[in-house]
Amino acid sequence: MTGRRLHPFTLLAIAGALPALAWILPAPIGGACTAAVAFVLTLIPGARLTPGASPGFRGIGVSPGSRPGLVVFRTALLTAVPFWVFLRLLHDVPTTIAIGLRITTMVASFVWLAATLAPDRLVEATVARGWSVTAAYLFAATITAVPTLRDRARRIVEAQRCRGLSPRGSLGNRFRALRALALPLVLSALHDVDERALALETRGMVSGARRTPLAPPPDSAVERAARWALLAACVAALIWRFK
Amino acid sequence: MKSLTLERVSFWYPATEAPALRDVSLEVVQGEVVALVGAVGAGASTVLLAAGDLAPRLTGGRIAGTVSRRDRSAIVLPTPWTQVSGMAFTVWDEVAFGPANLGWPTHEIARQVDRAMAHLELGPLATRDPATLSGGELQRVIIAATLAMDSGLVLFDEPAAELDAEGASALWRLIRLLAKEGKAVLLATSALDALPDVADRVVWLEDGAVRAVGTPDLLADVAACDAGLGTSVATVWGASGLPGPYPLTVAHAVRQWR
Amino acid sequence: MEVIPALRFDGVTFSYGAVAVLRGLSFSIAPGERVALLGKNGAGKSTVVRLITGLERPGEGTVWVGDWNTRDCVPEQLARRVGSVFQHADQQLFARTVREDVSFGPRALGVGEQEVERRTDRALADLDLTAHAGHHPYDLPPALRKLAALAGALALEPGLLVLDEPTIGLDRALRARVTRALLDRSAGNVALLVITHDLTFAAETLERGLVLDRGSLACDESLAGLLGDVTRLEPLGLAPPPVAALSVALDLPGRPVRAADAARALARVARGRPGP
Repeated sequence: MTGRRLHPFTLLAIAGALPALAWILPAPIGGACTAAVAFVLTLIPGARLTPGASPGFRGIGVSPGSRPGLVVFRTALLTAVPFWVFLRLLHDVPTTIAIGLRITTMVASFVWLAATLAPDRLVEATVARGWSVTAAYLFAATITAVPTLRDRARRIVEAQRCRGLSPRGSLGNRFRALRALALPLVLSALHDVDERALALETRGMVSGARRTPLAPPPDSAVERAARWALLAACVAALIWRFK
Repeated sequence: MKSLTLERVSFWYPATEAPALRDVSLEVVQGEVVALVGAVGAGASTVLLAAGDLAPRLTGGRIAGTVSRRDRSAIVLPTPWTQVSGMAFTVWDEVAFGPANLGWPTHEIARQVDRAMAHLELGPLATRDPATLSGGELQRVIIAATLAMDSGLVLFDEPAAELDAEGASALWRLIRLLAKEGKAVLLATSALDALPDVADRVVWLEDGAVRAVGTPDLLADVAACDAGLGTSVATVWGASGLPGPYPLTVAHAVRQWR
Repeated sequence: MEVIPALRFDGVTFSYGAVAVLRGLSFSIAPGERVALLGKNGAGKSTVVRLITGLERPGEGTVWVGDWNTRDCVPEQLARRVGSVFQHADQQLFARTVREDVSFGPRALGVGEQEVERRTDRALADLDLTAHAGHHPYDLPPALRKLAALAGALALEPGLLVLDEPTIGLDRALRARVTRALLDRSAGNVALLVITHDLTFAAETLERGLVLDRGSLACDESLAGLLGDVTRLEPLGLAPPPVAALSVALDLPGRPVRAADAARALARVARGRPGP
C-alpha cells in the first residue's frame, strides 16, 4: 500500500461513523449501504491482520505467514453469519434483514478496524494528546483483543489436532472441537491477563505514567476536517431521522 | 553500598496457608552479583518479585518483614513473551517501550536503547517484528529492553532458559559487566555450572527459607550435591566416592587430580 | 526384512515466505533410537517439529513417519504415530484436571475407555504426577505443568516422540524424571527426537546427535563422540557439557559423557592410582 497511512483517530472515526449511520438511517437501505462500504474497506490492500497482534506468544513455534487482504473480508463475513442465524430464529424475514444489516456493519467495521489499526500508532496518538500510557494501552489492547484471541485459538487448535482431535468433518465433530477449544481459550486468556498485567508493570507501565511519544503519527488538517465532517453527518442524519 | 535489603521477609500468596517465603534475609550490594538457587518451588522467583516491588503489590497476598531498595529496579521474567509490549513492530521500538514509559526525553531514550542493543548484539535484529522472533531472540530483546531502563538493581529470573550456548555465554558475560558498571544484580537460575564464573555470592533457598549463603564454593558442598544443587563436576566427584572437598569446575578438578 | 524407520526426512526444503529455513535436510531415525536435534537458535529446529506433526508441508522433499507420507496426512491422523510436545506446551493445557488433560489424547484416538485409563495411569506414573492428577493444571507450578504436557504425549503411546525443549524451567530432580521416563519408553522401541540446548540432558538421555546449522545438517553422529570434541562443537556454536569436558580433561577411559559413567570411571582410575 502506497501513500501515507491514515491517522488512528481517522480510522476510529470511520469505524464509529459507519455503525452509527447504519442504526440511524432507515432500514434496510441504510444498513445495506453502510455494510457495503464496510466490506469494501476490508478489501482495500493494506488492510491486513496486525502483525504483532499476538505479542510474542510462542506456543507452537513461529509461523510468520503473510495474510492477504481477502482474509479480512472473509473474517468479517464469517463473524457476521452467526448473528443472522440467531436473528432469523427470533424474527421474521424483513426484521432479520433490517437488524442483520446493521449488525453486519458493526462487525465488518470492527474487523476492519482491528486489521488496519496499528496499536502502537494508536498508543502514540493518544499519548500525544495527553492520555496516560495505561489508559492508551488499555484502549489499544481492547481493539487488538480479537486478533490476539484468534491467534491463541489457532495455537490451541493446533495442539489439540496434534493430540488427535479433528476440527473437521461431521457437524458433531466440529461441535466437539469447538467445545474443546472454548474452555482452554478462555482459561488461558484469563491466566494470561494476570501474567501480562504484572509483566507490563515491569516495562514501566504504571498508572499515571506520562509516556514520551516516540513517533506520534502525523495528522493533517484534511483528516481533522474529515473527522468533523463524519461527526456532523451522523448528527445531521440523527436530526433528519427524528424530525 | 547496599542496593537491596530483605529483612526477615515472609510472604503468603493469596488464598494460600503455607508461606512461599519464610523469614528470608539477604542483601545485595552495588557492583555485586548474587545468585538464588534451589529446587523448583523453593521461592527464588518469589524473592525476585518481592525485591522488585511486584509482590504483594501486584500479585496480592501478604508480606511480613521489610524490603528496602536504594535504587529503581527492573526485572526480567522467565516468560519473556509475556513482557513483550504488543505495541511495537520493530525490535528497536520494543526496547524503547520501557524508557518511553518512564517519560525520558527522546535523545536519552535513543542513547539507552542503542547502548542496550549493543550490549545484547541485537543490531541485526533492530528492524525485525518481535512477533517473528524465536524464543531465544525474544529473551535477548526483553533483556535489552530491561537494561535500557537503566535501573540500579537488576533482577533476572532464569534469563538463560531460552538461550542457546552462545547466547547463554554472552549473557553471563553481560551480567558480570553490569556488576562492573556498578549495578546490583540478583539472579535466580538453575544453570548451576555457570555460577562459579558469574556469581559473587550464592543463596540457597529451600522451602521458602534460606538454607545457606556463601561464595559459589557452596555448590561443591556435600550437602548441596546431595540436594541436587551441586555443579556437575562436584556431583560426579561426590558420586565417585572420592574424598572431599569436591572440585567446583573442570579446572578445579584438574588441579585436584594432579 | 528391512525395518521401516520411525522417521525419515528425504531432501526436505522449507521456507516461510521468502526465507529459506530448511535446505535439503535428510536423515532417518530407527525405532527405539534416541536422537538429539541440536543447533543455534533460529537454525530451523522448531520447523522440523511442525513438519513432522503435519502442521506444515515440505516445499520440496518428503517427510515419512513410518510408511506415511506427511503430505497425505493431517495432524490428527499423525497423532496416531507421533506424540509431540511443543515449546511452552504448558500453556496449552486445557482440561479441568491433569488426568483429564492427559487422557485427552488417547480418548481422541478412539481407544476403549479401559485402555484410556491404562495409558493415562502409566503416563502419570512415569513422571511421578499421580499425586497431582486431580489438580487443575493452572494450579500447578509451571515446571509441573510442563511435565503434565509431556504426560499427555506419552499417553498417546506413539511410535515416535518429538519433544521441543522439554527441560526448560526444570530443576535437576525433574530433569532426571524426564530422563527416566524417556529411557523407559525407548526400551519399548519408541523412537525419540528431542530438540534441546541442554547438552547435559542430551548426554544423559540420548545417544545420537543431529546438528542443524542454517537449515542444513552439519553433523550426524553419536553424542558420546561429539560432546567431548571442542574442535567440532565450537564452530557449531555449542560447548561441551561439564561432564564430557571433565572426562577429556582427566583423560578418563572411554571418555564417558554421562554422570554415572564418569563417576564410575573416576572411581576406577582413582583406585588404580598410586597413593599420595
